[in-house]
Amino acid sequence: MTNSIHEIRDADCIFITGSNTTEAHPVLSYEVIRAVKKGATLIVLDPRRIPIVKHATLHLQPKPGADIYLFLAMAHIIIRDGFLDEPFISQRTEDFALFEQSVKAMTPERAALETGIPAKQIEQAARLYAMGQRSFGSSIYEDSQTAPYRGHSTILYAMGITQRSNGTDLVHMLANLAMLGGHLGKPSTGVNPLRGQSNVQGACDLGGLPNVLPGYQPVTDAAKRKTVAEKWGLTDLPAQLGLTVVELTQAAETGQVKALWVMGENPMLSDPDVTHVESALRNLDFLVVQDIFLNETAQLAHVVLPAAASLEKDGSFTNTERRIQLLQPVVKPPGEALPDWQIIGAIAPKVEARLGHDRPDGYWDYGSSAQIMTEIAEVTPIYGGVSYERLVGQGLVWPCPTPDHLGTPILHVGQFSRGLGRFYPVELHLPAEQPDEEYPLILTTGRVLYHYHTGTMTRRSDGLDWIAPRGYVEVNPVDAEQIGLQDAGQVWIVSRRGKVRTQARVSDKVAAGVVFLSFHWKEAPANRLTQDFALDPIAKIPEYKACAVRLESTKRKGKKIKNSGAG
Amino acid sequence: MSKITLTIDGKSIQTEAGTSVMTAALANGIDIPHLCYHADLLPSGGCRLCMVQVEKHSKLEASCGLICQDGMAVETDNETLTNLRRDIIDLFVSDHPLNCVVCDKNGACDLQKYAYQYNIHETHYDFELSKTDYCADNPFIVWDHQYCIQCAQCVRVCDEIVGANAIDHAGRGFNSYVATPFDIPMAESDCVFCGSCVQVCPTAALLPRQKIGQGREWEMERIRTICGYCGVGCSVEYACKDGQIIYAQSYDNAPVNGSYLCVKGRFGWDFVNKPDRLTQPLIRKDLAYQLGLTDEPWQLPDKSVLQGKAKFDHYLPVSWGQATDIVADKIADTVQQYGPDAFGGLTSARCTNEENYIFQKFVRVAVGTNSVDHCARL
Ligand code: SF4
Ligand code: SF4
Ligand code: FES
Repeated sequence: MTNSIHEIRDADCIFITGSNTTEAHPVLSYEVIRAVKKGATLIVLDPRRIPIVKHATLHLQPKPGADIYLFLAMAHIIIRDGFLDEPFISQRTEDFALFEQSVKAMTPERAALETGIPAKQIEQAARLYAMGQRSFGSSIYEDSQTAPYRGHSTILYAMGITQRSNGTDLVHMLANLAMLGGHLGKPSTGVNPLRGQSNVQGACDLGGLPNVLPGYQPVTDAAKRKTVAEKWGLTDLPAQLGLTVVELTQAAETGQVKALWVMGENPMLSDPDVTHVESALRNLDFLVVQDIFLNETAQLAHVVLPAAASLEKDGSFTNTERRIQLLQPVVKPPGEALPDWQIIGAIAPKVEARLGHDRPDGYWDYGSSAQIMTEIAEVTPIYGGVSYERLVGQGLVWPCPTPDHLGTPILHVGQFSRGLGRFYPVELHLPAEQPDEEYPLILTTGRVLYHYHTGTMTRRSDGLDWIAPRGYVEVNPVDAEQIGLQDAGQVWIVSRRGKVRTQARVSDKVAAGVVFLSFHWKEAPANRLTQDFALDPIAKIPEYKACAVRLESTKRKGKKIKNSGAG
Repeated sequence: MSKITLTIDGKSIQTEAGTSVMTAALANGIDIPHLCYHADLLPSGGCRLCMVQVEKHSKLEASCGLICQDGMAVETDNETLTNLRRDIIDLFVSDHPLNCVVCDKNGACDLQKYAYQYNIHETHYDFELSKTDYCADNPFIVWDHQYCIQCAQCVRVCDEIVGANAIDHAGRGFNSYVATPFDIPMAESDCVFCGSCVQVCPTAALLPRQKIGQGREWEMERIRTICGYCGVGCSVEYACKDGQIIYAQSYDNAPVNGSYLCVKGRFGWDFVNKPDRLTQPLIRKDLAYQLGLTDEPWQLPDKSVLQGKAKFDHYLPVSWGQATDIVADKIADTVQQYGPDAFGGLTSARCTNEENYIFQKFVRVAVGTNSVDHCARL
């Protein structure tokens, strides 16, 4: 996130797109509720009538993948109607003219025609967001109390934007909108990605990516690479980009990759096209999985290593607002399970010895997590000022380059990291797989409140399993009618990759032509249906949020599920 | 914002215009008794315990709803107020059984705290319970209406913070109580089981089910850590006894989440105790056979792992020493035979910063490839 979570409660306008905030980031949604209760406007742009829509001023409900029309049209309107923050644009950005050209053709009327959403609503969304208009009450911000009375608007987005074959473009587009309204570098503004997992931010920050070293230092930057190499007692490091998750499984299938070490992940449920993933993993010469349970991926492993859960160890997590916070062990790990860092610390020197690498004594002997953090601070400029002593209490928000730096809750204040903020013209691009006669519906996937990711933990929680024991698919009554499907009946969802059977919830939460399936349940693995052929060209993210499917009746009636989900 | 000055109990206090006397007092270390005030919620003025005397005001005022004025002089404690508060508590306990000896809230109950402070050990009124419903229709929350003091903090938190609006006041007067619409089971209401109502409840009316009968508050050790689920990064305080977690809650001023959590963070930690946790390194039987650790040949069935249950009998347990040797052998063999790029590592968005750091360092330094990734995108 460019801004911190607490600022959301003081926003004047909140624009949520591609984030089912109440279910995927519940406590963050409380901030949104608090803002709305104080008079903030809330715009929700989402193909489903997700629970937060209850609190929205405006819900724009395009088909999955059609949001791009709306973003472009909003930009068109902001420019056409003069809702621009001109001083911001002239002082802090570049390439505005180029961008202006690129949205000229996308009138609200055209977007309305393409998406079925009334032009008036698109205009309203553009005005509310760009001008940060409230529904009642006054802004707490002084700069909003004088002409042109521009409030502070914030954008929240999640996987509904990034898990798309044009995800990078869409993120640029949100940044474009923010720059048009000057909604960056101030409190309660920003373009804020909500990260899904407890430490996904930290895993990225610390180099768990094939293209960057810790602190986002590109592996292709020779100078940065050498600096890190020296800190690690080497002369250089591999310069060639590594493979991403999806590329790794593809390479395992073709036999290019022979051995894989999986720590705390479950690609068998989380990756697209899991049928492929399974045959790829089976094709490996050696698979080692380190986890807390014998999850679906571990069941294909040659060696399984028992790890401690986060409740059983110390260390630190970095949350979605870039706040680094300390963990404390609450209980002891069961049996011989060990914290992951100790397992890596035991294997690494053995591998090095076998490969004949000569390392100083104790090279992999870290006495504690705190000691690893000391090294992180030396190697990772954005964590340069971080130490365990400083993390006690409130933690620290990176960038925190030096031991006396207080952290940076708001990014881009006064200046962007690259100097001027650049407007990126974005092209119209629709999901790679479009519905056709054979597969007439668009499937979109996501989470439900009571489960988390592949369900390894939540499905073993008695309460969570009680309330949400089974997966389900949301189907609009119009599409259900077509195949004689009733609420709570069983249905097959069929895509070009495979089929999945599950229970239907017939509801207008999804528009006609769209079905929604969550991916937590191995009995109904959504990712047997999703595709991995169209990855975003830059981020290499698979398009989970839109693929073509059809429904087939199973003629079986079911018993109604207890809870209708969150709201 | 403009500043104003007032005195509370003779102490001169500066505060922002618009602040309530209660908030200003608490911020300055003056603790006015209260049962319905909550810093994050709109004042409801229901309990009247927070009454104060204001110079030149003819009536006593509820400090939680009273806005500070410049030059105001407030007294929070005197004989009149003490008598009034004793009477209020007396009234509360005329409808609230003083079962403290067996109560799961013992030691953490606000009513008990004030009854103790004002020395009320039984009611002078006729004891009569207005409501006796006991609702345990879900695995998360037990709702014992006889302990409810109608402070409405639960109703307000559910509306003002969570936005679920699952519960509200029902009935009238003495018989009014807090309920789901038409008293439907909580699981059928709009309740999202965040437990925020449990968190703010000052008495035993709303309790985490996990806690019932598991020990008294003062027997529990409290350990704070960060929730392991989503990227919000809420702080959770675990109450533990004999090395086991009893229940989880948040705490005031937790850096990200204030006093609140969601259902997963508050109630979804019990997976740690499950009997199918991995407790020893395991080696699959075909590899074990290859390495001479068993004489029985074995093959991984072709059936997809997405069908059927996880089978522990596909594996042999080995020691950490053996397991790490085998892993090291295999990785080193791969690198020697096919080069470093034949190896890949998936690090984890659920492991710590330190673990991610040394994992990627291992892949880059020991193996010599950049093929390390995790499911950030997935
Ligand atoms: S658990 Fe949460 S949603 Fe349910 S009644 Fe309590 S505060 Fe409301
Ligand atoms: S308590 Fe809920 S919202 Fe908070 S970090 Fe855990 S899963 Fe996320
Ligand atoms: S705290 Fe003021 S009336 Fe209850």
